[in-house]
Amino acid sequence: MSISTPGGPERRPTVVSTGKKPAAGRPSAADKPSGGKAGAGKGTPRPTVGGKGRKPIAPVKVSQGRSWGPIALFVAVGLLAAGIIGYGAFAAYRGSQPWQERADAIKGVVDFRKKDKALVEGGKHQPGVIKYDVLPPVAGPHNPAWQNCMGDVYDAPIANEHAVHSLEHGTVWITYRPDLPADQVATLKSKVQGKDKLMLSPFDGLDKPISLQAWGFQLKVDNADDSRIDEFIKTLRVNASIEGPNANCAQGITATGTTPRDNLQQPTQ
Amino acid sequence: MTASVTTDSTPDETPVAAKGGRGAARRFGTLALAAAVVVGLLLGYAGGLLTPSVTRPGENSAEAGFARDMSSHHAQAVQLGLMAFQQGEDSEVRQIGGDIATGQQGEIGTMQTWLRLWHLDPTGEQPAMAWMPDGAGLVRDGLMPGMATPAEISKLSGSRGRAFDVLFLQLMIRHHLGGIHMIQGILDEGHDADVLTVAQTMKNTQQTDLTNLQAALKRLGG
Repeated sequence: MSISTPGGPERRPTVVSTGKKPAAGRPSAADKPSGGKAGAGKGTPRPTVGGKGRKPIAPVKVSQGRSWGPIALFVAVGLLAAGIIGYGAFAAYRGSQPWQERADAIKGVVDFRKKDKALVEGGKHQPGVIKYDVLPPVAGPHNPAWQNCMGDVYDAPIANEHAVHSLEHGTVWITYRPDLPADQVATLKSKVQGKDKLMLSPFDGLDKPISLQAWGFQLKVDNADDSRIDEFIKTLRVNASIEGPNANCAQGITATGTTPRDNLQQPTQ
Repeated sequence: MTASVTTDSTPDETPVAAKGGRGAARRFGTLALAAAVVVGLLLGYAGGLLTPSVTRPGENSAEAGFARDMSSHHAQAVQLGLMAFQQGEDSEVRQIGGDIATGQQGEIGTMQTWLRLWHLDPTGEQPAMAWMPDGAGLVRDGLMPGMATPAEISKLSGSRGRAFDVLFLQLMIRHHLGGIHMIQGILDEGHDADVLTVAQTMKNTQQTDLTNLQAALKRLGG
C-alpha cells in the first residue's frame, strides 16, 4: 500500500501511484512520461506515501478539483428543475385565473360587478313591473318566476322581470335587434337550442344588433359570427350564476310578451 | 480532462497540492450531495405539483365532454321529472318523476364539481357529443340522443290526465335510452376511475328506471 489516500482514487483517477502490490514491481510505470522523479513522494508528511516505493511514481495530477462532467450534469438538472417548477407555477396561475378575470379580458365586455356592486347582489324578488337602468338588464331585483332557460328560443320579446331571474340562475341571455338578418338569427339559434342555461329572444330598441347578458356582464356585438359570442358563453354560462350550477332553468315562464306575469299582488298594495 | 502535470514540483509542493485537492474534493462532495438532495426535492415537489394537472382530464377529454353534455341531458330529465311530479295523474308517474328529478339533479352537481376540480368551465369549446366517436352526428337541432324537442315539451306541458302520463312515460323512456347510450360512451372512452364509477351507477339507475317506466306504460295502456 504505497498510497492509500482515502480521496485519492476517486478524485484523482489518473494518479497511477496506487500500487496495490508494491512487490509486483510495476513493470512499466513508465508509461507515464513523468514517471521518473524517484524522490517525488519522499517528502510527504503522510507516512504511507513514504518509503517503500522503489520506483515511486510521481502522481500525475489531473483535474485539480474541477470535474466538469458532474458540474455540467448538476447545472443541466438544476435548469431542468427550475424550468419544470417555473412551468408548473405558470400553469397553476393560468389554471387558477378566475373566470371573472377571463370575462373582463373579453374585448368590449362591460363588468357591472365592478361598476355597481349593489346592482349585482341579487336575490331580491319583487312582483310587477320593474324599471331597469341598464337595458337589456344585467342584474337587479326580479319577479319570483324566472323565464324558462332550457335552451329556449323565443321568437318575440320576453319580460325583463323574468329574464333577470334566469340570469341569476347562471343563464346567458342572447338578445338581438328585431331587424337582425334571418341567417344571423339562425346562427344564434344554433348556439342556444338544446342547451340549458341559455336563451334567445329579440329585444326592441337595442343600440347594437346583438347584446349578450350574464348576471353582471354585458357584451354588444355587430355580427352573429363574432367569436366573442362563444367566448362570452364559455366564460360566463353557469359560472356567473349567483346560486351555483344547480340552479333550475326548467319550470319557468315559457310565454313571450314583455308584461311580467308575477304582478297579481301588485295592484292591491 | 485538464491534466496539470506536476513533475517539476518540489517535493514539498506535491503533498500540499494533494492535500488541498483532497480537502476540496471532500467539500465539493458534500456540496454536491447537498445540491443533489435539494434538486431532488425540488424535482419531487414540482412533480407532485404538476402530476394532478397532467393526469386530470383536460379541456377536450372524453370525461369533460361527458360531464358537460350529460349535465345538459340530465337537466332535461329534471325538467320532465318535475313536470311529472307536478302534473302526473298516476301516483307512480308522480313518484318516478320526483325520483328522477332529484336523482339526476344530484348527479348534475357531481359532474359540475368534477369540472370545477379539473379547472374547466361548465361550457366546452367543442360542439355537443364531440367527445364520443361518431357522437356529433347524433345531435339534431342541438338535441342530444333521446332528448325531447321543444314541440314535444310544449305538448307535454299542455297535456293532462292519462294523456300526460303516457306521453311523459314515452318521452322519459326515450330520454333514458339516449342517456344510457351516452353513458356507455364514457364507459368505453373514459379513464378516470371516479367518472367510470359514477357513470356505471348512472347506467344501473337508468336501466332500473327503464324497467319501471316500461311497466307503468304497459299498465296505463300506452
